[in-house]
Amino acid sequence: MAVAAGLGPRLDRERFQWSSLAMLAPALALLGVLFIFPVLYSGYLGFTDLALVGSRSRDYQFTGLDNVTRMLSDYVFIKSSWLTIIFVVGSAIVGQTVLGMALAILLRNALVSVRAVIGSIVIVAWVLPEITVALVWYAFSQAGGTLSILLGHTDTNFLVAVPMLIVSLANLWRNVAFSMLVFSAGLRNLPTEVLEAAEVEGASAWRRYRMVILPLLKPTIVTNLLLVTILNLSEFTLIYAMTQGGPGIETMTLPLYVYQEAFVFHQLGYGTAISLVLVLIGALFSLLFVRASRSQV
Amino acid sequence: MLSEVRFEGVHKIFGTETAVEDLNLRVNAGEFLVLVGPSGCGKTTTLRMLAGLERPSYGRILIGDKLVNNVSPRFRDVAMVFQSYALYPHMNVYDNLAFGMRARGAAGSVIAQRVKETAEVLGLAQLMKRRPSELSGGQRQRVALGRALIRQPQVFLMDEPLSNLDAGLRVQMRAELSRLHERFRVTTLYVTHDQVEAMTMGDRIAVMNSGRLQQVDAPETLYDNPANIFVAGFIGSPRMNFVRGSLTTTRGVAAVEFLGVTTPLSSRAKLTAEAADGAVTVGLRPEDLMWRRAAPPESTLTLSAEVDVVEPMGHEAYVTAVCAGETVTSRFPPRSGVRTRERIELALNPARLHLFDARSGNTILQRPVAGGAELPRSVGEARVDESEEGRSERQHEPHTRSAQSRAEEIS
Amino acid sequence: MSAVEARRAGAEKLIVVPYSRVSPAAVATNMILILLGSFFLLPMLWMVFASVDSNPDWAIKLPTPTLANFTDVLGRADAISSFRSSLILAGTTTVVTTVLAVLAAYPLSRMHIPFKRAFMLAILFASGLPVSMLIVPVYQMYVYFGWLDSLYTTALFLAASSLPFAIWLMKNFIDAVPAELEQAAAIDGASTARILRELVLPLTLPGIAVTAIYTFINAWGAFIIPFVLTYSPDNQPGPVEIYNFMGSHGLFKFGDLAVFSLLFSVPVIVLYLFMSRYFSGAFNFGGAVK
Repeated sequence: MAVAAGLGPRLDRERFQWSSLAMLAPALALLGVLFIFPVLYSGYLGFTDLALVGSRSRDYQFTGLDNVTRMLSDYVFIKSSWLTIIFVVGSAIVGQTVLGMALAILLRNALVSVRAVIGSIVIVAWVLPEITVALVWYAFSQAGGTLSILLGHTDTNFLVAVPMLIVSLANLWRNVAFSMLVFSAGLRNLPTEVLEAAEVEGASAWRRYRMVILPLLKPTIVTNLLLVTILNLSEFTLIYAMTQGGPGIETMTLPLYVYQEAFVFHQLGYGTAISLVLVLIGALFSLLFVRASRSQV
Repeated sequence: MLSEVRFEGVHKIFGTETAVEDLNLRVNAGEFLVLVGPSGCGKTTTLRMLAGLERPSYGRILIGDKLVNNVSPRFRDVAMVFQSYALYPHMNVYDNLAFGMRARGAAGSVIAQRVKETAEVLGLAQLMKRRPSELSGGQRQRVALGRALIRQPQVFLMDEPLSNLDAGLRVQMRAELSRLHERFRVTTLYVTHDQVEAMTMGDRIAVMNSGRLQQVDAPETLYDNPANIFVAGFIGSPRMNFVRGSLTTTRGVAAVEFLGVTTPLSSRAKLTAEAADGAVTVGLRPEDLMWRRAAPPESTLTLSAEVDVVEPMGHEAYVTAVCAGETVTSRFPPRSGVRTRERIELALNPARLHLFDARSGNTILQRPVAGGAELPRSVGEARVDESEEGRSERQHEPHTRSAQSRAEEIS
Repeated sequence: MSAVEARRAGAEKLIVVPYSRVSPAAVATNMILILLGSFFLLPMLWMVFASVDSNPDWAIKLPTPTLANFTDVLGRADAISSFRSSLILAGTTTVVTTVLAVLAAYPLSRMHIPFKRAFMLAILFASGLPVSMLIVPVYQMYVYFGWLDSLYTTALFLAASSLPFAIWLMKNFIDAVPAELEQAAAIDGASTARILRELVLPLTLPGIAVTAIYTFINAWGAFIIPFVLTYSPDNQPGPVEIYNFMGSHGLFKFGDLAVFSLLFSVPVIVLYLFMSRYFSGAFNFGGAVK
C-alpha cells in the first residue's frame, strides 16, 4: 500500500488525445494556407517594391524601410490616417456606443409595440448588405434626396459638401444595432435585485443610471468599445461604394488607400505596408481588449 | 456479475488542493455503501474517480479484480445517477432509457423489452413519450434511476441523487431506492451529505472529512462507537454535546470528571491504548442527557443546569441549558413546561458516555454495542473497521444467490 | 406626526395613490424612439417606394405604382447570374466554415489541448484582422496558383476569413452544453463519435444555425474579396453587380437599382428573422476570454 512519501510519478497527467488533432486539422489547414501564411507573407511583402504589373511584378526586391520612409512623407497617407481615426472615433467609439446604449436603455423602458417595431427597424438596417446601405444612403444624401428636402437645401449634395460626416452617419446607421444588441444583453444580465434596491431607496432614474447601471455595465462597455473599434477600423465597402474615397481624398480612409495603392496604382508592396499599419492599430486594441477582459473579474 | 470495488492508497490532487488523501476502501459485492461527509470532503471526487471521470493522482482503483485506473468510463460497466440527473434534454423518456443499451449495440427487440421492464419497475410506463422538461422533479429522478438500472452494471454510483427533491418525495424515494437495492443487489456507492440518508440506506457508512476517510461501519456501530470527534459530531441530530473533562485512574479503576460530577467508567467499556490520565473530551448525545423527571433508573448521574433556550419540535423538545459553565443540548419530552432561566435537573446514564482524546480527537473508550445492533442488515459480516489503513483485505462474503443469478441473466 | 399616528390616519382615510399609465418620462421615451426609428426607416423606405415607382428619383415620395422595375430586373441576364454567383459563393462559404468550425470548436471546448488559451486568443485576434491586409498576399497566391476568377476558390478565402469568429462563436455554444450530459453518455458507453452525433450536434443545433446564418449573411454581402478575386461578368456576385450599376452614372436607373437591392436584401432579412430568437445569446460577451 502506498505511503505518503515517495508515491512515484503522478498518474493523472493530462494526456494528449489524437482525436482532438484530427478534428482541428481541417480548420488548421484552411487557416494555415489562407490566413496564417498570407499574414506572414504580407509581413514580407510590406517591405518590398512588388508591383501589380510591369517588371516589378515578377522581379521585386526587399527594400528595407523604404516603404516606411515613403509613408512618413506621403501626404495622402497622413491625411488618410487622420480620416481613419476621425471615422473610428466619431462613428464607432462615440456614435455607435452612445447611440447603441441609448437605444438599448430606451427600448427597455418603451411600450412593447414601440420596442418591437423600432428594434426591428434598427436591426434590419444592420442585416442589410453593405452595398444596399451604401445605395440607400447615396440616394438619401444626394441633391434633391430625402435629406436635402428635410434640411431645406434641395440643391446641396451632402455627400460632396460634408462627405466624412455622411459616410460616418451611414456607418453609424448600419452598425449601431450591434452595440444595441450587446448592451441589451448586458442590461438583461444585470442583477435585478440591485436595480430594485436602488429604486426602493428612492434614487431618481438618472441617478440610478449614473451610479448603478453604468458602473455595472463597465465590462460590457469596454468589450463593446474594442469590438466596434476593430470592426470599424477595416471598414471598406460602405465608404468605397458611396464615394470611392472622394471627393478628392476627403473620405480616403486607410483600407481604401490600401486598395487604391495596391490595385489602382499597382503598388502592391506599398499597399501592403499601409495595411500593416492598420494591423498594428488593430493589435493595439486587441491587447487592450485582453487586458480589459482580464481585469474585469 | 456483481463485483466488489477497491480503492488502494488513492490520492487525488487538484493543483495545490488535495481532494482525496490516501483512501483505502472496499465496497463489498452487492453492498450498499454510503459515502457521507460535509461538502468539499472529497466524497464526490471519490465517486467520480470510480466512474472514470477523474483519474487518481496516485494509487489503484479496482472493480472486481480489474485495475481500472486507465479504463475510460465507457468500458467500466458502471452506471451513475448524477445530482443534476443529466437527462438528455432532447430525447424522450424512452430514448433516455434506451441510450446506453443502443450505445452498447444491443438488439432493438432486447432494448424494447428492457425499457418496458425498467419503466414498469419505476412506474414510468405512462411517460415514455415525454421529454425531461415535461416531467416533475420526482419523475426525472426516476428516469435517471432507470437509465442506470436498465444496464444492469457491475456497480451503481449515485451522487446526491435525492438532494434536488422536496422533503416528502425524498423520504419516499429513499425507501424506494432501498427496495430496489434489496431487489437487484447491485454493488452501490452512494454519495450524500445528508446523515439521515446515510443512516437509513447504507449497509455500511463511510465518513469522510477533508479528503480523509474517518470511519467505515454499519450505521448503528457508527452511531454508538464513533471513531473520533468528527464522526461523533457529524452523525446524529441534534449534534452530540462535547464538554471538557478529565480522566483519573485510581487503583486500576478509571473515573471521569466533567460538568462538576465524577463517575467511574462502566466495567463493560474498555479504554483504548491511547487513553491516559488528564484532559479528555466527553461526548454526550442529547437523548442520553434527559430531564430528571422523565429519566429511567439507569440514569444515575444528576446535573444541575439553567435553561437557556427551549425548542419545541412537537413530539419532543430540545432544551439548551448551561451546566457548570458549558452549554449542552438535551432532549426533553414535549410539553415539559420548562422555561428560559429556570433551574432544572438533568439525568445521565454513565454507560452512555463517549470519551475522546483531548488532542487527537480519537475515541479512547470502546463501548459495548447495545442490543446486538452490530449485525449489518443486508450483507453478512460486512462490519470491518477500515478507519485505519491497510485492514481492508479481510472479509469476503458471498452475496445472495438470487441476486447474482438475476444479474447474470442480463449481462 | 409620528409614524404610528400617520398609519392610524391612513387607516381611517384610505389613501389612494393616483396611478397614471402615461408618465411624462414614458411619453418622452417612446417619442424619442419613434424619432430615432424614422431616422432608420427613411433611407430604407426610399428603396421600397422607388422599387414600385414608375418615375422614382432621389427623394422619398409616394410611388406611382408599377411592377415594371421588377420585370425589368428579372429579365436581365446579368442580374440573374449575379444571384446565382452570390448563392454559390455564400453557400460554399457557409458549408465550409460551419463544418470546420463545429469540428474545431468541440475539442477546443472539451478536450485537453496544449496552449489552448493562447490558441483562443490568436483566434480572437485573427477575427479582428482587416481583410484589406490579407487581400494583397492572397491575390498574389491566387495569381500563382491560377485560382483567380473562380467562385469556389474565392469562397475558400471567404471561409478562411470568417472561420476564426465562427470557431469562437461555436465554442461558446458548445461550452454552454452541460459537461455532465456528455459524462453521463460516456458512462452509458457511448463513443466520442456517438456523443458528438447524438448529443452535441442536436443540443447545439441552434448555435450551429446561428453560426451558419451569420456566416451566410456576411458572405452574401461580401464585396472586396470577390471584387478583387473575380473578374469575368458571369462570376460577379450581387454586391459587385450593384456597385457596377451604381458606378455607371449616366445610366442610373433608380427603379432597377432599388429593385435589385431590395431583392438582394430579402434573403438575409428572412434568414435573420429565422435565427433571431436564438441570437441574443451570441451577444453575451461578458466573459469573452476564459
